[in-house]
Amino acid sequence: MKNKKGLIGIIAAVAVVVVMVVAYTMFAPKATQGGKNITIEVINSQQQSTMYEVSTDAEYLVEAFAEAEGLEVVAEEGEYGVYILSVNGEEAVWEVNQAYWSIMVNGEYGMYGASEQPVTDGDAYQLVYTKG
Amino acid sequence: MKDNKKLTTRDIAFIGMAIAVIEVCKVALQGIPNVETTTFWIMMFTIILGRKMLFVIPAFIAIEGCIYGFGLWWVMYLYAWPLLAGIAWIIRKNDSVLTYSIVSGLFGLCFGALCSIPYFFIGGFAMMFNWWIAGIPFDLMHGAGNFVIMLLLYKPVRKVMLSVDKINKN
Repeated sequence: MKNKKGLIGIIAAVAVVVVMVVAYTMFAPKATQGGKNITIEVINSQQQSTMYEVSTDAEYLVEAFAEAEGLEVVAEEGEYGVYILSVNGEEAVWEVNQAYWSIMVNGEYGMYGASEQPVTDGDAYQLVYTKG
Repeated sequence: MKDNKKLTTRDIAFIGMAIAVIEVCKVALQGIPNVETTTFWIMMFTIILGRKMLFVIPAFIAIEGCIYGFGLWWVMYLYAWPLLAGIAWIIRKNDSVLTYSIVSGLFGLCFGALCSIPYFFIGGFAMMFNWWIAGIPFDLMHGAGNFVIMLLLYKPVRKVMLSVDKINKN
């Protein structure tokens, strides 16, 4: 009886893993390779905007940051991907000042972190200082 | 520890210790991505404390909010950890390391799906679904970590907990 329950549990766990792997394979954001022209706009805590035009081969946004001339992004690897600590010297760390850098994609709130956000030709990205 | 309604001084001390153990272990393992012992400790303490976990879980969630801020992630904690304690309470009479390991692993696998629920109210099903999908690699590691931790620690920790409980009753 115990073995039967254990077996059912293992089968259930394996089934959940399979569903997750299939869902990720089918629906995960896919990066495209090759040259892309994008813009990265930084909006700081004073609502001042700085625009960067970038031609890049980067697959994910975090890689494009490094290629934007004059843009300084400090980030660290966190539990759920890259966490942006400061942009152009302005720090936004929740534990310190209850603020964070949010990522907007084509005017809409981004659904992924900088290390998971695919870079697509023509996209407009924003890094917005967000308080509270 | 008796699962009666009356709270003794010993219960209060044990509850305080349980909260401290959960919090300290969480902070100690923060440097290792997707490896946590919160799931393990909540399940183990539920075996010993039973319904008195109703004092531990809210205190733990409140401490987390005070340390890291009351963001959206905190709302997820409000139902995710009580749900785990509820599941552990239902299976508390089971003494199979495999059962606990599977439940712990499944909780890790489903953690992202559970935490995606608030996004449904912010941006609809698409936002909730995309948020869950983006976190699947982390959920897989979380599930594997939970399974292994429970598999390794369940028997020795349960033995110590029950012996301490026995000494307290005498």
